[in-house]
Amino acid sequence: MNMKKIPLSILFLGMLVFLAPTQFVKAQSSVDTLAPQVTTLRDKISGVEDRLATAEADLAKLTKIKFSGYVQAQWQHFEAANVFPSNYLTIRRARFKLQYEPAKGVVFVLQPDFQPSNFVIKEAYTRINEPWLKSFSLWVGKFNRPNYEVEYSSSDLEALERSRVITTLYPGEYAIGAKLEYTPPSFPLKIQLAIFNGNDGQVIPDATGANQNAADNKDFDNYKDLMGRLTYAFKLGRWGGLTIGAHGYYGAVRATTDTLLKSDYIKNKVVKVGSALNRNWVGVEAQFFVDVLGGLVLKGEYITGVNAFPGFNSTTSSTSFTSAVNTTKDTVTQTYSTLKTTSIAPNIQRNFSGFYVYLVKNIGKRNQFTIRYDQFDPNTKLAGGDLGVAAYKASSTKTTTTKNTFGAAGNVLVNKEVNTTVVNNSLTSGTADLAYSQITLAWSYYFDDNIKISLAYDIPMNEKAGTAGKVLSGSYSAPGGISSKYDYSNLIHQNVLTLRFQAKF
Amino acid sequence: MKSSKTIKMIAGIILLSIITFAFMPAPKKITIKGSDTMVILAQKWAEVYMKSHPEVSLQVTGGGSGTGISALINGATDICNASRPMKQSEIDKLKERYGSLGVEIRCAKDGITVYLNESNPVKELSIKQLSGIYTGTIKNWKEVGGPDETIKLYGRENSSGTYVFFQENVVKGDYAASCQTLPGTAAVVNAVKNDKYGIGYGGAAYSKGVKQCLVKKDDKSPAYAPSAETIKNGSYPISRYLYMYLRNRPTGEMKNYIDWILGPEGQKLVVDQGYFPVK
Repeated sequence: MNMKKIPLSILFLGMLVFLAPTQFVKAQSSVDTLAPQVTTLRDKISGVEDRLATAEADLAKLTKIKFSGYVQAQWQHFEAANVFPSNYLTIRRARFKLQYEPAKGVVFVLQPDFQPSNFVIKEAYTRINEPWLKSFSLWVGKFNRPNYEVEYSSSDLEALERSRVITTLYPGEYAIGAKLEYTPPSFPLKIQLAIFNGNDGQVIPDATGANQNAADNKDFDNYKDLMGRLTYAFKLGRWGGLTIGAHGYYGAVRATTDTLLKSDYIKNKVVKVGSALNRNWVGVEAQFFVDVLGGLVLKGEYITGVNAFPGFNSTTSSTSFTSAVNTTKDTVTQTYSTLKTTSIAPNIQRNFSGFYVYLVKNIGKRNQFTIRYDQFDPNTKLAGGDLGVAAYKASSTKTTTTKNTFGAAGNVLVNKEVNTTVVNNSLTSGTADLAYSQITLAWSYYFDDNIKISLAYDIPMNEKAGTAGKVLSGSYSAPGGISSKYDYSNLIHQNVLTLRFQAKF
Repeated sequence: MKSSKTIKMIAGIILLSIITFAFMPAPKKITIKGSDTMVILAQKWAEVYMKSHPEVSLQVTGGGSGTGISALINGATDICNASRPMKQSEIDKLKERYGSLGVEIRCAKDGITVYLNESNPVKELSIKQLSGIYTGTIKNWKEVGGPDETIKLYGRENSSGTYVFFQENVVKGDYAASCQTLPGTAAVVNAVKNDKYGIGYGGAAYSKGVKQCLVKKDDKSPAYAPSAETIKNGSYPISRYLYMYLRNRPTGEMKNYIDWILGPEGQKLVVDQGYFPVK
């Protein structure tokens, strides 16, 4: 054994003996120092995790709320003589939609429409989606009536406005009611059944003929209107698709007078005041999509049926007194005359028909060209020559006289009461029965999905009405306060040019 | 008459514009956006194609199938990659905006793989068990023949086509609230790789570093792994097509690119990337 190595070994061992505990102590000291730091960090991370969980829970609630909306600002130029000013800027629509899904399958929607002078609630409904078949949904509140052009978003309308037949039959698009929808997830069928009050946007005259439905969204009778619609979509291979459908409307309004006039202004019958005046129609629709150098759409709808309009009556009364003296016979005659005039516009049902056809061509991602032709005849039983001529008149006059004589000869007082009752029950055909057709040419440029600019030119064409010796006309006040008349035996120039800017989010 | 002349003039301008715009050449820059499942494959396609076609510029991004479809609808992309079919509501939006039903092109097949950590003793699961796990009714590995440990769920965000496909075909209900949402299949794989008791799902091409769980249609059926054969013959129960969607039928350079993808060269890349050819 090397004796020199022994002291080194002992020295090494000694170092180990003395230094190892020291190192151990130092290491232990580092661990002891780090331990509270690790604990602190762990606590901080735990705190961050708690805050993150709270933030995630709040974010989950916020993602259930969706906002959308759009503003349409436009300039229009009117070529009609009775519009003053002939061009102006306006806000056509400013809508904001809030959708909230508090639980799976339940949706609340609220959409106010802001106008420069007021705002109205356009939509306010709850929708419940059943979770089992994922096919049925129940809507309750104020929502779009089930019709293709009605349900088509106002922000996407290619011709900027809906066709005349749709705006006449479904004014304001939205109505208060309840609807059941069937839309199976993997079958291209859609069925909608709805019940409405039936008066949303309609003119409901009171006894004097004033519209009592100007502001309130309430019903005016016990008759509820039913609507049903069915659509089915076919795929046409790689070329495109075809969707066809039909819808029906079954409703009524309340009779306000006891005469119901038919569409020809001749046939009529006595009805009970308060009874139902039926308004029923059916429509067929089709939308054909084909990929020809970009999307091409040919779509249209035809609706025909009977629409009903309540009448009104108003009574005025006037009294006069005359006195006559006959000195020869010493007689004073006092005459009290009362004239009571009742003006009645009978209830009327008009047979109508209307249709629209669109041709829409998309070029690339940004350009869209549209040509639309639509026609609406509010009274198919009257030709142009009958307008202003066909009339219903059932007036009557009845006079009763009561005479009392007082006093003997030479001092006689005669009291006469003359009561005259005039009933004017009449309605003459006119501009309410005038058919219109319209051509609309439009071009839209999409800057992106949110901003677009559109240019549209509407060319309305009235039915030429009137007959020899009898011309249907309407009066208006021209600029400067000068009154003038439209002669409907000619085509009245009423074209409109619209330049619209739309921002959507 | 003045109005008749005006009508003729306006109709003439519109007709001329339609003819002019219709024959404008298709752009040479093509944007492709959508499925994160397909993004690596799409990038590979673009890279190889541009080498032989330097005049064409292809820009590929992910974001999820839902994001890609939204971009297709709002015009922000030319081609959308999607790992699920378009929903009817999305087709309706395309109809309203572009008058088109869209063009669907199946470009590859994929087997949705269930990822397990390599140290997890569980080897196979049935569709019903997977549904129970992902809806939260099965919470512990011991319920499916594994260790007595809580199952950690990893999944994708709801804009993902994989999320939607897995939900509709496997989960058939709502995902459990405890399922962690991760952005992309790679993130799911990474999470399962680092979590012994984790489970995730995604495209077959991403399953590196994790174990592929064998899947059986029901308790009585044999279990299979996703492979070209099992996907082709339908024995692997969770297979799907991968799609490209366009607004309109492709023309010009876009048509050339899509034809190339569906041809032998493009389909070879599909196999190389771990997917399965469309035919």
